[in-house]
Amino acid sequence: MSDLAIPTLQAEAQRERSAIGSLRLIQTACILVIALVIVSPLFMLLIASLKDDRFQILADMGSFRAFWVSNPTLSNFAEVSNLSGELAFGRYLLNSLFILGCTVGAGLIVNSMAGFVLAWGTLRGRALVLSLVIALYVIPQESIIMPLVIMVSRAGMTDTFAVQIVPWVASPLYIFLFYQFFAQLPKELFEAAEMDGASVFRIYRSIFLPLSLPALATVSILMGIESWNQYLWPILVTQTDYARPIAVAIATFFGQDSIYWDRAMAASVLMMIPILALYLAFQRWFVSSFVGSAVKG
Amino acid sequence: MASVTIDQVRKQYGAVPVIHDISMNIEDGEFVTLVGPSGCGKSTLLRMLAGLEDISGGEIRIGGRVVNDVAPKERDIAMVFQSYALYPHMTVAENMGFALKLKGEDRATIEKSVREAADILALAPLLDRLPKQLSGGQRQRVAMGRAIVRQPQVYLFDEPLSNLDAKLRVTMRAEIKDLHQRLKTTTVYVTHDQIEAMTMADRIVVMRGGKVEQIGKPLELYDRPANTFVATFIGSPAMNLFEGSIMDSLFVTRDGVGLPMPADYRGAMAEVYGIRPEHLTISETGVPATVVVVEPTGSETHVLVKLGSADANLVLKDRVDLQPGQPVQVAPDRAKLHLFSAQGIRVN
Repeated sequence: MSDLAIPTLQAEAQRERSAIGSLRLIQTACILVIALVIVSPLFMLLIASLKDDRFQILADMGSFRAFWVSNPTLSNFAEVSNLSGELAFGRYLLNSLFILGCTVGAGLIVNSMAGFVLAWGTLRGRALVLSLVIALYVIPQESIIMPLVIMVSRAGMTDTFAVQIVPWVASPLYIFLFYQFFAQLPKELFEAAEMDGASVFRIYRSIFLPLSLPALATVSILMGIESWNQYLWPILVTQTDYARPIAVAIATFFGQDSIYWDRAMAASVLMMIPILALYLAFQRWFVSSFVGSAVKG
Repeated sequence: MASVTIDQVRKQYGAVPVIHDISMNIEDGEFVTLVGPSGCGKSTLLRMLAGLEDISGGEIRIGGRVVNDVAPKERDIAMVFQSYALYPHMTVAENMGFALKLKGEDRATIEKSVREAADILALAPLLDRLPKQLSGGQRQRVAMGRAIVRQPQVYLFDEPLSNLDAKLRVTMRAEIKDLHQRLKTTTVYVTHDQIEAMTMADRIVVMRGGKVEQIGKPLELYDRPANTFVATFIGSPAMNLFEGSIMDSLFVTRDGVGLPMPADYRGAMAEVYGIRPEHLTISETGVPATVVVVEPTGSETHVLVKLGSADANLVLKDRVDLQPGQPVQVAPDRAKLHLFSAQGIRVN
């Protein structure tokens, strides 16, 4: 190679680095804009919840004042944190938490068991059952909601916690998610456990379930969000404060005569906290998996 | 410990047979290797012994007990898998003690058994580690430890060394053999590597296409292969085979090369002439050939020559100065000939 070729190559490398740098700058700018669009309503919500004048909140919307509070106060939170009375949002929050805990807890057990059996069971016609499960997923919840209301009403289950938990425990989507996860685990793990003397249930409990943390985390988050945001179903099956969840209760701030933006904002912030905590608790397993070390790596 | 009897065992998937009426008896404490090319049915047979595959016909007995319909966990056997199949979320100690835990053994007993097995396999410093923190060889030893802890009647190994590099494979081979000599437990070992089979086994079962080609001690198979498949499968480089026919006192290949026969040969008509590479020497009294490739390995020299249009491998103990294209004379050792019929069956 001639001496002249070396500076040319260096200049080319310099140009390439510069092009990559510009590209990264554009990418970062785009990501920042998207992040701002997503975060700004949440920030506005938080700021509004700290303002004690509901008319001022309404007036500030549409200007940059919506993102600033000069005299922050927690009075809205104090008002909506009662466990009884007209604004028993503490109670509604606990109701929602209880429903979420039971739905997610039972859902993880039921859906993972179903997914495990479909992936590793010896039942005949597993493929057919799996096809049916997948087919069920395309049926929208709204289309079966009225027959379901009639069923639970006849069973005397309305206005209970059970009616808000039981129908949503088993889900075709989550069964399929677990099925997919279990099916990709090495066959030798199942066989080794079988040789060690484990029953099928023990293999599920002691080997496959502990390995399915990413699937458990994913399903917990998705199921938690779904349960937390349930609105139509609880409206149809709850009549009193006894089992009413917070998502339904917040709607009461938006009355025909007036809208209590301050309380609604504070209640909305309260409503966000548990689901955010759930997400933060499980999100690290979304991408992590240590199954790879089970077999030759 | 126990003997294993395989009696007319058959396996078919739908109408397709993959194991054809295999019978063999494995003595108590014996180390038997199932060897053969990929797809010959050796792993399927092992899995049938383990109870991981149903059998379509015949009978399997372990320690005299028919186990055809007995669940794997009740066969009193332990299996070491090719992929190790360690539980990734459990430590080495938990992996090794899992079977005992399932049996309901108390913690002290489990710890003692795990410690003993770990001492045998030099795993004691690794007991608290997770599988992902171990090297390939260490994982393999843990898989063996998991089998040892159970003190089964029979060990089953399914190509346990095939994921290891060549050097580690040699070390682990010796470790497994040493382990068997110490524990004296009946062992069935599947491999496609004939060197592994030759060096480790008391007896070798050579399989092809779901059938047993020959059963015997390693050197019996090497010295007196029953057919051309076994002759070429066992031994590396493989046995040289030449097709042709006997004419007077010579075996004349299809190219017209005359190879010497034992003077007193009165056996059946042979149509395949076999000679191992180390039984071919370079000699002035030999038949003409041309050197194609010379491969010095240090301890010996591998030479590929053309004998007529056929290739022939030589393994020479001495270091020789040969060049590609050089004409040489090669001479077979008449006492070490292998003669086969047209169907490939041994006739001498």
